[in-house]
Order: sequence, then structure tokens, then C-alpha cells
Amino acid sequence: MKNKFLKLPIILFFIILFIFFYLLIIDRNPAKVPSALLNKNVPIFVTKTLVKNEKFSSSKEFGDQVTLVNFFATWCKPCKDEHAFIMRFSSEKNIKIVGINYKDNPKKTIEWLKKLGNPYSNVALDKNGKIAIDWGVYGIPETFIINSRGIIKYRHVGAITPKIYKKINLIIKEIE
Amino acid sequence: MLNNIFKVIISILLIQINMSNCNAVEPDEILNDPKQELRARKISKNIRCMVCQNQSIDDSNSSIARDFRILIRSKIQEGSEDKEIYKFLVERYGDFVLLKPPLKSNTVALWFLPFIFLVIGILVILNHNKKSN
Repeated sequence: MKNKFLKLPIILFFIILFIFFYLLIIDRNPAKVPSALLNKNVPIFVTKTLVKNEKFSSSKEFGDQVTLVNFFATWCKPCKDEHAFIMRFSSEKNIKIVGINYKDNPKKTIEWLKKLGNPYSNVALDKNGKIAIDWGVYGIPETFIINSRGIIKYRHVGAITPKIYKKINLIIKEIE
Repeated sequence: MLNNIFKVIISILLIQINMSNCNAVEPDEILNDPKQELRARKISKNIRCMVCQNQSIDDSNSSIARDFRILIRSKIQEGSEDKEIYKFLVERYGDFVLLKPPLKSNTVALWFLPFIFLVIGILVILNHNKKSN
């Protein structure tokens, strides 16, 4: 009886050890925050567009076809790194691509897009970062995939890598 | 010798007091109404800075923490209740944005396992003592 009770903490210790080890070896990223906006409607907002200084209204822009939304800024190095992938989406895929220019200088952005190519059908300005907060954005670049009913189906925080590029392609195929 | 040790302890304590008072709120953010400002500070202390993991937005100098603080203050000025502000942030950033995890089905283990382990520990010790007596 005495031994039985003394064994319990040791058994528990190994169970906990096993759980920790299991979480360590499975493919997961503990720094990744689950998105609260998945399978929810696109946030409603109105702002200005980059080029023509027109009104940008979310209710008009989203919900008619599969759309990729990309939060970017010219001062953000990873945004430059992933730009080639956004360009590829625009040339290879029949989807709408909307950029949201985060806390940036419009003049610089126009030049940046001239130099690197403009994959966006429209660019909305988020001058003070309020729109980003509405989307639950905390680290640009961030990319969202929205289906043709205006529901957020996927979100990626950080630059698009070849692996993520493939994943986004699969998701687009799935929801189209 | 003792006197010196005493001095060191006092200075460490003084530094600690200073540290606990330091925060990232900038003068231009502070609301005119002290009551509202106090509410904003209280909420800010419970909201996680998303890019610094374990720091509240009240302590963080990051630009997103500043955006959060300004947003909370503008919501207070618009007349939002504390609950509504928390809800607004949780809807966008998930429970992760709260520094204290809420009691939910997926956090039951987090909240109660320590107590269960404590009970098991007490039982083991009691049992052990009984046997040796």
C-alpha cells in the first residue's frame, strides 16, 4: 500500500514528461496565435485608396469573388521579400488582390509599387493602424484569403514563403 | 558590515519601487478625466502586447501597444463599458490578448491541475507519515 502511493508522483511525472515530449515533436508553432477572425465576415471599414484618392469601401470590395488581402508597408523588409509571391498570385491566379498599406507614406508606396510591380487591383490606406486592429493584425506582412461570400477562410502572419505559397494555392483551389 | 548590507537592501528596494511605477504611457495619450484614465490604465494592464508575448500594453513601448492604448482611451471617451472593450479586443485577437486566460473548457486543466497535484502531494505525504508512524 505504501509503495503504491509513493509510485503515483513518479507515474504522474512520466505522464507529464510524455505530454511535453509529444508537444515538442509534433509539427506545431507555439508562437503562432490562432486567428479569432477565421470563418467570420470581413470587418467593415471605409478609407481612402492609394492612387486616385478615392473612397475605399470594404462592403463594395469584398464578397463578389475570392480575394487575397495583404497588409504591407514599404518600411517593412519582409513585405519586400514576399512581394514576388504576391506578384505570382496576381499573374497566375484568377483572384482579386487587395493591398492594405499600413502606416506608410503614400508617395513612397506608389514609387515602391512602380519599382517592384503592382499586383493589387486596389490599395487601401491604413494611416494610423486602426483598420489593422479591426482585422486582428499584429505583425505585418499579414495575408488573408476571403471567399466569394466575404468570409475570412485563411490567415497567415509573416512573409509568404514557398511553403505558404503552396498552401495558399491549395486553399484558393478548395474554396473556388 | 551590517550597515552596508542594509544600505544595499534599501537601494535594491528603492529600485524595485521605481521599476513598478515605470510604464509606457506617453503624456499625449493621457485622458483629461482622471477617472477615465484610471479605467484605461486598468484595462491596459490586462491586455497583452501581441508582439512582446508576456508584457501588457501598459508596459510596452511597441507601436502596436500604443495603438491599443489609444484605441482603449477613445472607446472609453465614446462611452464604452470595460466589458465591451475587452469583448472588442477578444473578438479580433482571441483570448490570447488577455493576460489572464479565462476559465473555459480548453483551459480547465490549466486552472485546476495545480490544485489536483497539490491534493495528490498532500495525500502522498499523509500516507507516508501514517506508515512510518
